[in-house]
Amino acid sequence: MMLRNRRNEGLFGLALVAPFVAIYGLVFVYPTIKLFMTSFTDAPLIGDGNFVGFDNYARLPSDRRFGTAVWNTAYFVLITVVPGTLLAFAIALGVNRLAGRLQAAVLALFFLPYILPVSVVYLLWDWTLNFQFGIAMYLFDMLGIARIPVFKSTAWFMPAVGMITIWWTAGFSILLFLAGLRTIPTEIYEAAALDNAGRWSTFRRITWPLMWPITALVLTIQLISQLKIFDQVYLFSVGGRPNDNMVLVYYVFQRAFQSDQGGRAAAVAVVLFVIVIVVSVLNFQLTRLSGGRDR
Amino acid sequence: MPNWFKLTKAVLLAGGLMTSVAHAEETVTWWDFFGGGDGVRMKQLVADFNEAHKGKIKIDATTLEWGTPFYSKVQTSAAVGEAPDIMTYHASRIPLAVKQGILQEITADDWKTMGLGRSDYAPATWEAVSIDGKQYAVPLDTHPIVLYYNKDLLKKAGVLGDDGKPKGMDSRENFTATLKALKAAGVKFPLGSVTADGNFMFRTVYSFMGQQDGELMTDGEFLAGDSAKKLENSLAVLSEWTKEGLQSTYTDYPATVALFTSGEAAMMINGVWEVPTMTDLKNNGKLFEWGAVELPVIFDHPSTYADSHTFALPANKGEEMSPEKRAAVLEVMSWMSKNSLFWATAGHIPAYGPVTNSAEYKAMEPNHTYSSLTANIIFDPKTPLAGIAGPIFDVMSNFFVPTLNGEMEPAKAVEEIKAGLAEL
Repeated sequence: MMLRNRRNEGLFGLALVAPFVAIYGLVFVYPTIKLFMTSFTDAPLIGDGNFVGFDNYARLPSDRRFGTAVWNTAYFVLITVVPGTLLAFAIALGVNRLAGRLQAAVLALFFLPYILPVSVVYLLWDWTLNFQFGIAMYLFDMLGIARIPVFKSTAWFMPAVGMITIWWTAGFSILLFLAGLRTIPTEIYEAAALDNAGRWSTFRRITWPLMWPITALVLTIQLISQLKIFDQVYLFSVGGRPNDNMVLVYYVFQRAFQSDQGGRAAAVAVVLFVIVIVVSVLNFQLTRLSGGRDR
Repeated sequence: MPNWFKLTKAVLLAGGLMTSVAHAEETVTWWDFFGGGDGVRMKQLVADFNEAHKGKIKIDATTLEWGTPFYSKVQTSAAVGEAPDIMTYHASRIPLAVKQGILQEITADDWKTMGLGRSDYAPATWEAVSIDGKQYAVPLDTHPIVLYYNKDLLKKAGVLGDDGKPKGMDSRENFTATLKALKAAGVKFPLGSVTADGNFMFRTVYSFMGQQDGELMTDGEFLAGDSAKKLENSLAVLSEWTKEGLQSTYTDYPATVALFTSGEAAMMINGVWEVPTMTDLKNNGKLFEWGAVELPVIFDHPSTYADSHTFALPANKGEEMSPEKRAAVLEVMSWMSKNSLFWATAGHIPAYGPVTNSAEYKAMEPNHTYSSLTANIIFDPKTPLAGIAGPIFDVMSNFFVPTLNGEMEPAKAVEEIKAGLAEL
């Protein structure tokens, strides 16, 4: 057996992580630093600009479209993150009670939307809810309800896109919850049954607290991905009334690619970056604290 | 373990051999954004070109998504030297492209090589591709909007004139009367309007502004003087039609075309690029008798908004175009211009004068009927903020949708648009 050489081992370890560090530096760290630098300039989309200090940031509070974007993003997070997580949990609990082929089939049904690309999701729902030709509208007509221009009215847009997003992404959360449910030893449930615990108290005293780490994980994943919402909002609002349905990433895109203002776009991107970091750290701490209570 | 070095070498060698074989033929990479009926025609033109230049030049064409996606891609690809050799471009987008430095100038020598020049184009068209006296694109066509109509339905409602054109094209009152007659005759939507897509409605609204000599931008100022009032008037007409149930509401682009072709809408304001859709449907026996005419005169005098499709050469950063490639690209633009009579079957009005002056062109229908509008065309204001998928489009469209569907008063919309434009 060879003698271990600490120094060699360290070098070997470095060599193994080097490719990752290099790629991470190239495609994440470097662009991020560049982003911060660009946000202090009046750069167009292509090329460099002059240093303008905090101008790009100073104009944000009075920028109405930025205000709409912040509000809509927050609203979207509110209507998708917690409801989406709870719904996925509920579905996972249901699927968990099934067994064998039936369970696999039902799980597949719930997971199917998740593998669809966003463009297909958009087409499916546009065909369903289109004001003139959507299938749902004929249903409305039959029931005598007035047609609703779902994606063209500000009141309906965000709730509809939120619902579609939950439908689309719930599959992945369900899988995580299901994996979590399977790690809870059956002995605990047996012990609870011996103690005459009812279904509700079994859930409240055993399943919920034991599942909390998974719930916290799903919440965090959902929170971060919904803060970065773009694709669905873009597809459903392009050509219509984009500025009323503005979300933060869309605003970055609009400033950069449509208005040719790289510097101002970068400033908005930095704000979003900070929001995501703050909110996810806060979320992590909160879920940790509240999770500790029941233990 | 396989010898990766040898393998890589072999692959590289094979690749090198292939390019040297193909070298005799110059391949021109081409991007366009023609996805509809006109896309079919453009593919035909490209195939014809390749046939006529076999062994010399070959166009390798790709069609990308029209609008924002196309222009986002062009801007970024030119910046990293990955843009095509030639691309189609909207004249309205040229001011921004020149500001960004992503287009090559078409020099006087180039024009000479192509055998084309200023005298071949209408002054407004030539002006649309010129910035500070330099040209940045070769105009292919102008594409205005027109009024499509269903002759069968109009006849039934008694509003088809003896000349085969709709009645009431001369004033707001008379045109509204025509719409009402259609409604009374049981037509679901007298006018099919793209009311869910503010980007599209810009064309109609701006045409109506032009009918009152309103300007979007005067000496760098948006909606100066009474132009704001003229915008309000234009929106008021359209929202009045909505209130009286005369036009389709919350209808997006494809739905509008579908409403018209299925006979649920008797008339439709849309671009000339839908002419091939109608022609093809009619040839397959799936369409009624139809026609297309210049927009009705709702205000003082006829006026129609148009943009121009052009050919432009991207300024690929860090990539010098070889003389052989440049010659090939110039040949492409020259050939396409001179053979643009076929492009007229896509509805567009060819920009190249000798084509539109030819007897063959004058015999084409419905092109000839609506060609009267060429005298009354207005283009976008010349600013980097204008054009397809540009910021002005976005701001205005955002308030067109609520206004045209009766959610917002025209006066309020104009106020919001002015505030939005000031924030650009």
